[in-house]
Amino acid sequence: MSEIILSVKDMEKTYVGGVHAVRGVSFEVTEGESLAIIGSSGSGKSTVLRCINRLIEPTKGIVKLKGERINTPASDINDVRSRIGMVFQSFELFAHLRVIDNVSLGLIHVRGMGKEEAESKARNVLERVDMLDRVDAYPGNLSGGQKQRVAIARALAMSPEVMLFDEPTSALDPELIGSVLETIQGLAEEGMTMVVVTHEISFARDVADRVIYMDQGLVAEEGPSSIIDKPETERMKEFLSSIND
Amino acid sequence: MASEATIEGARRVPRGVVLFVSVAIFSLIFSISEVSAQEVRSGWEVMESGTEFDLLSAEVHENDIWAFGTGGITIISSDDGVTWSEVLSETSQNLTSSDSNFGAMVVAGNNGTVLLLNDGIWTDLSTDIIGDITDISLTGNNSLVVVSGNTAWTCTINEGGVDWEIVWGDSANSLNSVSFLDSENGLIAGESGLILATNDGGETWDYRDAPGALSEVDIVDIEYFSSIRAYAISEDGHILKSSREGSLAVGFVWSIVEIEREYPAGGSNEWVKGGTEIDYDASSINVLSQSKIMLAGPNGYLSLSKDGGNIVSRQMIPVSNDTSFNAFAMQDGFRGVAVGDGGVILRTENAGSEDFVGFEVADFNDFGQFVDYSKERLMDGLVATAKIVFFGILMGFSLGIILSMLKTSPITLKNVAQTNRYQLLVMVALVPTWAILQVPVLVLRIIRIPIENPLDSTLISYRERSAQISASEPLNIFAIRFIGMTLIVFGVYRILSNLDKISALNLDGWEHIYSPIGAPSAVFWIILGLAIAVLGGIFLSCNGDFSIRDLKVGKAEFSLNPWGIRPLNTIATAYTDIFRNTPLLVQFMFIHFGFELGRRMQEPGLMLFNFEYLQGNANFLTDIFVVYETDPESLAYRRPIGGILEDRAYISAIFALGLNSGAYQCETIRGAVAAIPSGQMEAGRSIGLNYMQSMRLVVMPQAVRICIPPLGNEMVNLVLNSSLAMIIGYAEITRQGKLIVATTFQVFWTWGMVLVSYFLITWTLALFLRYLEERTRIPGLGISGGA
Repeated sequence: MSEIILSVKDMEKTYVGGVHAVRGVSFEVTEGESLAIIGSSGSGKSTVLRCINRLIEPTKGIVKLKGERINTPASDINDVRSRIGMVFQSFELFAHLRVIDNVSLGLIHVRGMGKEEAESKARNVLERVDMLDRVDAYPGNLSGGQKQRVAIARALAMSPEVMLFDEPTSALDPELIGSVLETIQGLAEEGMTMVVVTHEISFARDVADRVIYMDQGLVAEEGPSSIIDKPETERMKEFLSSIND
Repeated sequence: MASEATIEGARRVPRGVVLFVSVAIFSLIFSISEVSAQEVRSGWEVMESGTEFDLLSAEVHENDIWAFGTGGITIISSDDGVTWSEVLSETSQNLTSSDSNFGAMVVAGNNGTVLLLNDGIWTDLSTDIIGDITDISLTGNNSLVVVSGNTAWTCTINEGGVDWEIVWGDSANSLNSVSFLDSENGLIAGESGLILATNDGGETWDYRDAPGALSEVDIVDIEYFSSIRAYAISEDGHILKSSREGSLAVGFVWSIVEIEREYPAGGSNEWVKGGTEIDYDASSINVLSQSKIMLAGPNGYLSLSKDGGNIVSRQMIPVSNDTSFNAFAMQDGFRGVAVGDGGVILRTENAGSEDFVGFEVADFNDFGQFVDYSKERLMDGLVATAKIVFFGILMGFSLGIILSMLKTSPITLKNVAQTNRYQLLVMVALVPTWAILQVPVLVLRIIRIPIENPLDSTLISYRERSAQISASEPLNIFAIRFIGMTLIVFGVYRILSNLDKISALNLDGWEHIYSPIGAPSAVFWIILGLAIAVLGGIFLSCNGDFSIRDLKVGKAEFSLNPWGIRPLNTIATAYTDIFRNTPLLVQFMFIHFGFELGRRMQEPGLMLFNFEYLQGNANFLTDIFVVYETDPESLAYRRPIGGILEDRAYISAIFALGLNSGAYQCETIRGAVAAIPSGQMEAGRSIGLNYMQSMRLVVMPQAVRICIPPLGNEMVNLVLNSSLAMIIGYAEITRQGKLIVATTFQVFWTWGMVLVSYFLITWTLALFLRYLEERTRIPGLGISGGA
């Protein structure tokens, strides 16, 4: 039995204004596992992800990273975040920094590395996402797929214990999606622990070890990736057929 | 490729223009030509007095000029001071003072000597009950007032004889000078800043307030010139001026004249900043008109000011500089004599002004000659403008950054209420101490001495401790409510204890809108008290639930979010609201004349960086604040001749521009920060940067680029707004323009040249900002048309 890296227990989130986005979600991710969270828009997938690294504070529930509770005021939020990599739907690259500086920023200012050491590590990571040839480019001059791969490299550079992907391909043109998915798949094969919120059902099926289907802030169905082909609940069936159409 | 060529092209044009502008400015500076040879002749002429005695007083009476001196010497001239003859004296006492008025003349001296000349007949009023008389003034053709020692006397001549009456002897301070405007209104000046006034012909005297700075200084001469103006001079060279202010008669309000420039003798253009005292000892002041005054003193000092003391020009004298001048007797605004020790009499027909011989009279209708005359002034103005603009921009930008950070700060009252005692300790005591220690640590690290801040571990452990406490201990609602109660009590107490001061202002109805000016501290405390009481109320209502509260009043629904109030934002908003909703011109006048910021900063500033301290300790940093003249030969020796503290108007102008611009720049920067997508902050936080790091490394660098164009706009505005500094007497370009117009009457040329000067400054600045924008542009970010 491999180690449980991330566990979420009874997570709830009510937004200011009363929207009850997450109504008690629990799951665990073991080392090297990749978990896909699927579900229709507004089902609370992204909220769950953001609650994990506390970009949003969960209203209730416990989040543990390697057995240590991280959603208490006592935990050092900046340290926790540096141990959890996050990739955003809209990339959010630092527009004023070159690719290499985007990746090495955290290494220098969070990990306290020297500039040279940080850059050499950044180059290693950029090589893994196949972006080594554009290290001096500015994000504005990259394609969407390239941007997302740099964003992955930026998260990866911090050597996170778990990576969170928030719909990493939904802002991309169809022909650019492939390269990003390949990169993520490569990471999964290397044994990176990850939670991927995605609309790419085929990707979830091929890459994820487990799939969670969320509906109206609750986990509606959970199981190995094979459940995508044989959904048990009506709602998941509806969801899948609406996507496949 | 085509688009890159356009960028290159766009960059090249401004560079060429910058070069052109620099060449233009430098050629202007170098073209300043030498002034042609000249000769200056003194405006005073030595007259033969026929005596070697010291002449201590002089008087114009009817068509004659009289002079009096030691040993009772009395001489008279009937031809406007050209030839003098001695008159047989009635006394052998020293005659020290005199007065002529109401068709009579009186002269007084040692041991109570008083001689009155009326209708050609001398009357000896001398009395042995008075000692040496220091000054005398007539209040009628048979009544007068004398001062002697620390007493003042009136003397009335009636049929029964001579009545001497003591009218003042209350003060230990001796009285130096007395002057009457008419038979009723008079002034006395004396030791330790003493000024007395009467409005009943000298029967009763009341204290008047001399400026506080003179409370230790003797006022040596006073002259009640007209119903709207009186002047006095102190032994250390302060010129005091009193004007009628509204219904307040002359004598109530005295101010020290700011001496803008002091010129040495000889028609030199090398003036020095005067500060508030003239550079020489003066013992006598003579007022020729409302604003034209002459000064005399020991060491050959004679000077003239045509503008009430703002510009004082020392005069050349045709006798030795050891001569002590004691008095003037002027027949009108131009003709008269000055008398001094050793029987010296100097006569003038132009108020002593120097005659310039060999000067070409400039023809200001000739544009070349006009420019020759005005360029130096404009250049001085250009430099002066550049100085306030530089410091104004520096101050405005720093202030703008700080204010915009306060405005965007996410700290709410909820965060404040959740603060525990360890966090408080960390914030209030530990972090500041740590920061102070960090400075030497960083310096030592720069010179390669690896050293740790000794508080590092303490800080970390306290942070951990406070985090543990906030994790483990529930919110201490009792403590929050107790603090809330205390705040309410304090706030209400503050309001109540200051309300009296507001009612003491005797304001009716809408007049109360001016109460912030009538009782600034009371209004400040009332507003602060209200804020504190409201804050206390919010804290008192704490029940651990910080959510938004919905209220229903009748049909209307309100939602209250008291815990969402951001205190830092509120403070910054109050500041920007005040500065953005009042005109800059009024701010200039309020700051300089009303609040006297310049004076309040200059005095302690010069005390800190005093002449003795800076001798040998001056460096480029202290030079920014003040530079002293260290050449003992110079007229300005020991005077500030450079730096911010040199000139009060300079200080006030920097602050007015900086404080005002800061409010506007704050909004610009805040807008730019708001324009950065929140995802950038999230992305920064997601890799583990803290709030300040994300702000500094991610948000601000992008925001600064966004705000370069609007900030550039603001800075150009600041340059243009700097012209308002003329209103407080700061000699920047616009004021220089006004001075040039006053001399040359060439309105079109002058203001046209001022416009050109402004255009050169602002355009250079605008080009630089355009270049900066081009240089910092991030490829692929934003719509820039071609880039």
